[in-house]
Amino acid sequence: MTTHNLLFVLAAVFALWAVMAKKLLTSAIMLALVSVAVSLIFFDFSAPWAGVFELSVCAGLITVLFIGAVSLIRADEDKRPENRAFAYALPLAAAVFAIAAWFYLPPFFEELAAGRQMAAGGGTIGTALWGLRRPDLLGQVLMLAAGVFVIKSVFPRRTENK
Amino acid sequence: MSNFAMEWYLIAIIVFTGFYCMLASRSIVRQLIGLEIVSKGAMLAVISAGALTGNLVFAQALVLTMIVIEVVVVAAGLALLVKNFRVHGSADIWKLDGLKG
Repeated sequence: MTTHNLLFVLAAVFALWAVMAKKLLTSAIMLALVSVAVSLIFFDFSAPWAGVFELSVCAGLITVLFIGAVSLIRADEDKRPENRAFAYALPLAAAVFAIAAWFYLPPFFEELAAGRQMAAGGGTIGTALWGLRRPDLLGQVLMLAAGVFVIKSVFPRRTENK
Repeated sequence: MSNFAMEWYLIAIIVFTGFYCMLASRSIVRQLIGLEIVSKGAMLAVISAGALTGNLVFAQALVLTMIVIEVVVVAAGLALLVKNFRVHGSADIWKLDGLKG
Protein backbone atom coordinates (compact mmCIF):
# COMPACT_ATOMS: atom_id res chain seq x y z
CA MET A 1 0.00 0.00 0.00
CA THR A 2 1.39 3.36 -0.96
CA THR A 3 1.71 6.38 1.32
CA HIS A 4 -1.08 7.95 -0.66
CA ASN A 5 -3.62 5.25 0.16
CA LEU A 6 -2.30 5.11 3.72
CA LEU A 7 -3.24 8.78 4.14
CA PHE A 8 -6.76 8.01 2.91
CA VAL A 9 -7.01 5.16 5.43
CA LEU A 10 -5.74 7.51 8.14
CA ALA A 11 -8.44 10.06 7.27
CA ALA A 12 -11.10 7.30 7.42
CA VAL A 13 -9.81 6.09 10.81
CA PHE A 14 -9.84 9.60 12.25
CA ALA A 15 -13.37 10.10 10.87
CA LEU A 16 -14.53 6.89 12.61
CA TRP A 17 -12.83 8.04 15.81
CA ALA A 18 -14.49 11.47 15.57
CA VAL A 19 -17.92 9.84 15.36
CA MET A 20 -17.25 7.28 18.10
CA ALA A 21 -15.57 9.56 20.65
CA LYS A 22 -17.50 9.90 23.88
CA LYS A 23 -16.61 13.51 24.53
CA LEU A 24 -17.54 16.20 22.04
CA LEU A 25 -14.15 17.85 22.58
CA THR A 26 -12.39 14.68 21.44
CA SER A 27 -14.69 14.59 18.41
CA ALA A 28 -13.71 18.15 17.50
CA ILE A 29 -10.00 17.38 17.83
CA MET A 30 -10.35 14.21 15.74
CA LEU A 31 -12.15 16.27 13.09
CA ALA A 32 -9.09 18.54 13.02
CA LEU A 33 -6.90 15.48 12.50
CA VAL A 34 -9.17 14.39 9.61
CA SER A 35 -8.55 17.84 8.11
CA VAL A 36 -4.80 17.46 8.58
CA ALA A 37 -4.87 14.07 6.83
CA VAL A 38 -6.99 15.51 4.01
CA SER A 39 -4.59 18.44 3.55
CA LEU A 40 -1.64 16.01 3.41
CA ILE A 41 -3.53 14.12 0.69
CA PHE A 42 -3.97 17.40 -1.20
CA PHE A 43 -0.24 18.10 -0.97
CA ASP A 44 0.39 14.56 -2.17
CA PHE A 45 -1.88 15.21 -5.17
CA SER A 46 0.33 18.30 -5.83
CA ALA A 47 -2.59 20.60 -5.07
CA PRO A 48 -0.79 22.92 -2.60
CA TRP A 49 -3.34 25.76 -2.58
CA ALA A 50 -6.19 23.51 -1.56
CA GLY A 51 -3.89 21.90 1.03
CA VAL A 52 -2.90 25.22 2.55
CA PHE A 53 -6.50 26.42 2.76
CA GLU A 54 -7.65 23.10 4.21
CA LEU A 55 -4.91 23.17 6.83
CA SER A 56 -5.41 26.79 7.88
CA VAL A 57 -9.18 27.12 7.61
CA CYS A 58 -10.58 23.64 8.27
CA ALA A 59 -7.99 22.36 10.72
CA GLY A 60 -7.60 25.77 12.36
CA LEU A 61 -10.64 28.00 12.21
CA ILE A 62 -13.38 25.34 12.21
CA THR A 63 -11.74 23.50 15.13
CA VAL A 64 -11.65 26.74 17.11
CA LEU A 65 -15.34 27.31 16.32
CA PHE A 66 -16.23 23.76 17.38
CA ILE A 67 -14.22 23.91 20.61
CA GLY A 68 -15.77 27.27 21.47
CA ALA A 69 -19.29 25.95 20.90
CA VAL A 70 -18.60 22.74 22.83
CA SER A 71 -17.23 24.67 25.80
CA LEU A 72 -20.34 26.86 25.76
CA ILE A 73 -22.70 23.85 25.93
CA ARG A 74 -20.55 21.66 28.17
CA ALA A 75 -23.12 21.65 30.97
CA ASP A 76 -25.60 19.85 28.73
CA GLU A 77 -23.12 17.13 27.82
CA ASP A 78 -22.48 16.29 31.47
CA LYS A 79 -26.12 16.60 32.53
CA ARG A 80 -27.74 14.56 29.75
CA PRO A 81 -25.22 12.13 28.23
CA GLU A 82 -26.21 10.84 24.81
CA ASN A 83 -27.20 7.23 24.18
CA ARG A 84 -23.96 5.68 22.90
CA ALA A 85 -25.43 2.60 21.20
CA PHE A 86 -25.12 4.16 17.74
CA ALA A 87 -21.39 4.79 18.24
CA TYR A 88 -20.70 1.22 19.28
CA ALA A 89 -22.59 -0.06 16.20
CA LEU A 90 -20.55 2.13 13.83
CA PRO A 91 -17.50 -0.18 13.36
CA LEU A 92 -19.86 -3.03 12.47
CA ALA A 93 -21.89 -0.88 10.06
CA ALA A 94 -18.72 0.51 8.48
CA ALA A 95 -17.27 -2.99 8.09
CA VAL A 96 -20.48 -4.26 6.45
CA PHE A 97 -20.49 -1.27 4.11
CA ALA A 98 -16.79 -1.68 3.29
CA ILE A 99 -17.17 -5.36 2.45
CA ALA A 100 -20.34 -4.85 0.37
CA ALA A 101 -18.84 -1.82 -1.40
CA TRP A 102 -15.64 -3.76 -2.20
CA PHE A 103 -17.59 -5.90 -4.67
CA TYR A 104 -19.76 -3.21 -6.27
CA LEU A 105 -18.05 0.18 -6.14
CA PRO A 106 -14.54 -0.38 -7.64
CA PRO A 107 -15.89 -1.74 -10.97
CA PHE A 108 -18.20 1.28 -11.15
CA PHE A 109 -15.33 3.66 -10.43
CA GLU A 110 -13.17 1.90 -13.04
CA GLU A 111 -15.95 2.52 -15.55
CA LEU A 112 -16.09 6.19 -14.52
CA ALA A 113 -12.33 6.52 -14.89
CA ALA A 114 -12.42 4.88 -18.32
CA GLY A 115 -14.93 7.46 -19.56
CA ARG A 116 -12.87 10.45 -18.53
CA GLN A 117 -12.12 13.35 -20.84
CA MET A 118 -8.69 14.83 -20.44
CA ALA A 119 -8.79 18.58 -19.90
CA ALA A 120 -6.48 21.04 -21.58
CA GLY A 121 -4.98 21.70 -18.16
CA GLY A 122 -2.21 24.21 -17.78
CA GLY A 123 -2.48 27.69 -16.36
CA THR A 124 -1.94 28.75 -12.81
CA ILE A 125 -4.27 28.88 -9.86
CA GLY A 126 -4.18 32.67 -10.15
CA THR A 127 -5.51 32.61 -13.71
CA ALA A 128 -8.17 30.07 -12.78
CA LEU A 129 -9.32 31.89 -9.66
CA TRP A 130 -9.03 35.55 -10.71
CA GLY A 131 -9.59 35.23 -14.44
CA LEU A 132 -11.85 32.32 -15.23
CA ARG A 133 -13.78 31.76 -12.01
CA ARG A 134 -14.31 35.37 -10.94
CA PRO A 135 -18.07 34.91 -10.29
CA ASP A 136 -17.09 32.29 -7.69
CA LEU A 137 -15.19 34.97 -5.77
CA LEU A 138 -18.27 37.19 -5.79
CA GLY A 139 -20.26 34.23 -4.45
CA GLN A 140 -17.67 33.68 -1.72
CA VAL A 141 -17.82 37.31 -0.63
CA LEU A 142 -21.63 37.18 -0.57
CA MET A 143 -21.51 33.93 1.40
CA LEU A 144 -19.18 35.46 4.01
CA ALA A 145 -21.45 38.51 4.25
CA ALA A 146 -24.43 36.18 4.74
CA GLY A 147 -22.55 34.35 7.52
CA VAL A 148 -21.74 37.59 9.30
CA PHE A 149 -25.37 38.67 8.95
CA VAL A 150 -26.62 35.36 10.42
CA ILE A 151 -24.34 35.66 13.44
CA LYS A 152 -25.27 39.32 13.89
CA SER A 153 -28.98 38.48 13.84
CA VAL A 154 -28.65 35.42 16.09
CA PHE A 155 -26.71 37.33 18.74
CA PRO A 156 -28.14 40.85 18.69
CA ARG A 157 -26.69 43.55 20.90
CA ARG A 158 -28.53 43.72 24.19
CA THR A 159 -30.46 46.91 24.70
CA GLU A 160 -31.53 48.22 28.07
CA ASN A 161 -35.27 48.15 28.66
CA LYS A 162 -36.26 51.58 29.81
CA MET B 1 -7.59 -2.09 -9.16
CA SER B 2 -6.54 1.32 -10.41
CA ASN B 3 -5.39 4.01 -8.02
CA PHE B 4 -8.47 6.13 -8.79
CA ALA B 5 -10.91 3.33 -7.91
CA MET B 6 -9.04 2.64 -4.66
CA GLU B 7 -9.12 6.34 -3.72
CA TRP B 8 -12.83 6.63 -4.40
CA TYR B 9 -13.54 3.41 -2.49
CA LEU B 10 -11.85 4.90 0.59
CA ILE B 11 -13.67 8.20 0.02
CA ALA B 12 -16.96 6.24 -0.02
CA ILE B 13 -16.11 4.83 3.42
CA ILE B 14 -15.37 8.35 4.76
CA VAL B 15 -18.67 9.65 3.34
CA PHE B 16 -20.54 6.67 4.81
CA THR B 17 -19.10 7.48 8.25
CA GLY B 18 -20.29 11.07 7.97
CA PHE B 19 -23.79 10.12 6.84
CA TYR B 20 -24.04 7.51 9.60
CA CYS B 21 -23.11 10.16 12.17
CA MET B 22 -25.73 12.55 10.80
CA LEU B 23 -28.42 9.86 10.76
CA ALA B 24 -27.77 8.21 14.10
CA SER B 25 -26.74 10.96 16.49
CA ARG B 26 -29.13 13.29 18.24
CA SER B 27 -26.59 15.91 19.24
CA ILE B 28 -26.49 18.98 16.99
CA VAL B 29 -22.71 19.22 17.36
CA ARG B 30 -22.36 15.67 16.07
CA GLN B 31 -24.69 16.47 13.17
CA LEU B 32 -22.32 19.27 12.16
CA ILE B 33 -19.29 17.00 12.62
CA GLY B 34 -20.95 14.46 10.29
CA LEU B 35 -21.59 17.23 7.76
CA GLU B 36 -17.92 18.21 7.96
CA ILE B 37 -16.79 14.63 7.36
CA VAL B 38 -19.10 14.31 4.33
CA SER B 39 -17.79 17.57 2.89
CA LYS B 40 -14.19 16.39 3.42
CA GLY B 41 -15.06 13.31 1.35
CA ALA B 42 -16.58 15.52 -1.36
CA MET B 43 -13.45 17.70 -1.48
CA LEU B 44 -11.24 14.64 -1.79
CA ALA B 45 -13.45 13.40 -4.63
CA VAL B 46 -13.18 16.73 -6.48
CA ILE B 47 -9.38 16.85 -6.16
CA SER B 48 -9.04 13.18 -7.10
CA ALA B 49 -11.17 13.68 -10.22
CA GLY B 50 -9.14 16.80 -11.07
CA ALA B 51 -5.93 14.80 -10.81
CA LEU B 52 -7.42 12.05 -13.00
CA THR B 53 -8.37 14.41 -15.82
CA GLY B 54 -5.25 16.56 -15.49
CA ASN B 55 -7.21 19.61 -14.41
CA LEU B 56 -6.03 20.20 -10.85
CA VAL B 57 -6.07 23.98 -11.27
CA PHE B 58 -9.85 24.17 -11.67
CA ALA B 59 -10.38 21.51 -9.02
CA GLN B 60 -8.39 23.61 -6.55
CA ALA B 61 -10.39 26.74 -7.41
CA LEU B 62 -13.59 24.78 -6.75
CA VAL B 63 -12.26 23.39 -3.46
CA LEU B 64 -11.35 26.88 -2.25
CA THR B 65 -14.96 27.94 -2.83
CA MET B 66 -16.19 24.82 -1.02
CA ILE B 67 -13.98 25.56 1.99
CA VAL B 68 -15.35 29.10 2.30
CA ILE B 69 -18.95 27.86 2.08
CA GLU B 70 -18.21 25.13 4.63
CA VAL B 71 -16.85 27.63 7.14
CA VAL B 72 -19.91 29.86 6.80
CA VAL B 73 -22.31 26.92 7.15
CA VAL B 74 -20.54 25.62 10.26
CA ALA B 75 -20.32 29.08 11.83
CA ALA B 76 -24.04 29.70 11.23
CA GLY B 77 -24.97 26.21 12.50
CA LEU B 78 -22.92 26.58 15.68
CA ALA B 79 -24.32 30.08 16.29
CA LEU B 80 -27.86 28.69 16.03
CA LEU B 81 -26.88 25.80 18.33
CA VAL B 82 -25.51 28.11 21.04
CA LYS B 83 -28.54 30.40 20.79
CA ASN B 84 -30.89 27.42 21.02
CA PHE B 85 -28.96 26.13 24.02
CA ARG B 86 -29.30 29.48 25.77
CA VAL B 87 -33.05 29.66 25.09
CA HIS B 88 -34.10 26.03 25.64
CA GLY B 89 -31.14 24.59 27.57
CA SER B 90 -30.69 21.66 25.25
CA ALA B 91 -28.54 20.64 22.28
CA ASP B 92 -30.77 17.78 21.15
CA ILE B 93 -32.34 17.81 17.67
CA TRP B 94 -35.53 16.19 18.96
CA LYS B 95 -36.01 19.14 21.32
CA LEU B 96 -36.07 21.59 18.39
CA ASP B 97 -39.86 21.74 18.43
CA GLY B 98 -40.33 25.31 19.62
CA LEU B 99 -42.38 26.19 16.51
CA LYS B 100 -44.58 23.07 16.66
CA GLY B 101 -48.26 23.94 16.42
